[in-house]
Amino acid sequence: MSDGSSAGKLIEVEDITRVFHVGGEEVRALRGVSFGISRGEWVAIIGQSGSGKSTLMNVLGCLDTPSSGRYTLNGKDVSRMSDDELAVIRNEEIGFIFQTFQLLPRETALANVELPLVYRGLPARERRERAKAALEKVQLAHRMHHRPNELSGGQRQRVAIARALVAQPSMLLADEPTGNLDSATGEEIVRLFEELHRAGNTLVLVTHEPKLAARCPRAIRLSDGQVVADGPGREVALGIGAAVMAAGGT
Amino acid sequence: MKLPRGVRVDVLEGVRIALFSLKANRLRTVLTTLGIGIGVATLLAIVGIIQGLNTSFHRQLATFGANTLYVSKFPWAMKGDWWVYRNRKNFTMDQVTRLRSLAPFLSAISPTVQRVADVAYGGEQLSTVRIQGVTHEYLTISGYEVTAGRFLTEADDEVTRPVAVIGADVADGLFPGISPLGQSIRIDNRTFQVVGTLSRKGKIVNESLDLVVFVPFKSFYSSFGKGRGLEIAMAVADPTQVRRAEDQLVGILRRIRGTPPGLPDDFSINKPEAMAQTYEQLTGALYGVAVGVGLITLLVGGIGIMNIMLVSVRERTREIGVRRALGARKRTIVFQFLMEAASVSAVGGLLGTTAGLGTAKVVSLITPLAADVQATTVVGGVAFAAVVGLLFGIWPAARAANLDPVEALRYE
Ligand SMILES: Nc1ncnc2c1ncn2[C@@H]1O[C@H](COP(=O)(O)OP(=O)(O)OP(=O)(O)O)[C@@H](O)[C@H]1O
Ligand SMILES: [Mg+2]
Repeated sequence: MSDGSSAGKLIEVEDITRVFHVGGEEVRALRGVSFGISRGEWVAIIGQSGSGKSTLMNVLGCLDTPSSGRYTLNGKDVSRMSDDELAVIRNEEIGFIFQTFQLLPRETALANVELPLVYRGLPARERRERAKAALEKVQLAHRMHHRPNELSGGQRQRVAIARALVAQPSMLLADEPTGNLDSATGEEIVRLFEELHRAGNTLVLVTHEPKLAARCPRAIRLSDGQVVADGPGREVALGIGAAVMAAGGT
Repeated sequence: MKLPRGVRVDVLEGVRIALFSLKANRLRTVLTTLGIGIGVATLLAIVGIIQGLNTSFHRQLATFGANTLYVSKFPWAMKGDWWVYRNRKNFTMDQVTRLRSLAPFLSAISPTVQRVADVAYGGEQLSTVRIQGVTHEYLTISGYEVTAGRFLTEADDEVTRPVAVIGADVADGLFPGISPLGQSIRIDNRTFQVVGTLSRKGKIVNESLDLVVFVPFKSFYSSFGKGRGLEIAMAVADPTQVRRAEDQLVGILRRIRGTPPGLPDDFSINKPEAMAQTYEQLTGALYGVAVGVGLITLLVGGIGIMNIMLVSVRERTREIGVRRALGARKRTIVFQFLMEAASVSAVGGLLGTTAGLGTAKVVSLITPLAADVQATTVVGGVAFAAVVGLLFGIWPAARAANLDPVEALRYE
């Protein structure tokens, strides 16, 4: 694992745990996770169902806070931030892309894309222009006045990607973005990610498809709340090479 | 023009989302609105009618004059024990004469005695007319003005002239289109000649002050008998000294009526003002009950709002999660739902205000009650409803804001 200087890293995760309390029982979803991600990287997070991928994603996206450990995003320690401060971080640093798109059903594509800019407090004119530009980037400018139920699954996910891009965040977080799409449409979305990666965006992508992970320059494998492999996507996805670590080790 | 960020994000966006959601759920909005609207309407109609009642009552009382006192054996507002008052000795004309010489602080004093009778002229007849025997000084005490002819004179009383001064309702009722002056009217087969007419005074509660005939005090006794007790009407010379005059009157009256020391007064000093007080006690209780009913209706409406807001929050759990993920703060979510609650209620308030004012207006048209509602009431009604909405929206809004974003996004 490339554990060098932490300077210049966009994300620095150190020994993060997340414990849920269900009834009287403790569920340890993350058990000491550490890694760093640099600006412009495209990282896939893979692992079996229940391995803690979504939990990690929520922590990285500042929707959830770790039970212990330290999380530094863009030089700021976000693990001890207040709820309001985290809302600002989510608004300015992070673009979410969900498996189920999570568009507001009653609003048009344009209004959906504008939403992050509303919470940034931009005036309506500027919001509109930037939202249009983002929809053009995903080739959906001609559908901007349509509501989500008038769009195909692939189109909806492209609207969601435009929404994630519009506020020019530090990174895009996508949890199974192709999970609800057929393979051809999924491929379209992956191509879009490749484009975004080439344009310099930082991407973190949760997937359980080894084929998709293999296309990423880097992948991290989780197992039972721990990092068990971290290295070039192809090697981690196929379970070969030096990237694979002994379970429980960091 | 640039508004502060907080106002733009929280208030403006909150209002926009609120209106959007109200439009999307039209039927639900209307039904919720009805609840609060009925509450506001009830409250307003009641307040309007009772206030109107009070206003007209006070306006009528004012025509009596603030410096008038009325002494008789009965108090105006009788509290039980009617027999106690009944058994008091009647006032006599002799006592009136002695009072005049003993009370220089009175500017006018007149015995009054009255009955109700039918009054006829030619073929016309009016029933239940108040016939009142008074002396010439009564005019200044009563506050009537002479519109034609003259009022009763001292001479009328001395020689027991069968003359009469009639109120506006009597003049209109018996002499439509002709002058009553010099005409003879019949009261119980006694004939009186009309020598004057009086200005209109209106109604007090529901009784006309203009359906009245004044005759000389002595003529009243000689025509209708002396059996009735008399009341003494008087005006205090200095209107600022009414209280003192009252105190002095007590002593003078006890002396005149020979009340032994230690026994209670055997007379009552009545004031129009005191009548207003009893009246207000009466309507005050009514007011309290009615406002209570209105508030309960409003409470029910408010609970309706709370209920619908809880439904709205639940329905939009995922939306809340999305908004939170995209950077909405808790405060912003709170505002969104508070604005929604407040706008539903404000719409209800507007409907309710209109309905309430309409009801009050209709009541004032078909009954003698005057509804008294000002433009500020409309603004007040809407604002009040909005505040009710805000109050009942607080809990649902807080629930929405405190949802865990991760859970909310996963909500099915
Ligand atoms: N809110 C929660 N309360 C209790 N346990 C939770 C909660 N969220 C996650 N878990 C538990 O934490 C573990 C990791 O869950 P997570 O959702 O992160 O898995 P995942 O890797 O995303 O799985 P999948 O591929 O099925 O989405 C699981 O055992 C899960 O049951
Ligand atoms: Mg998951």
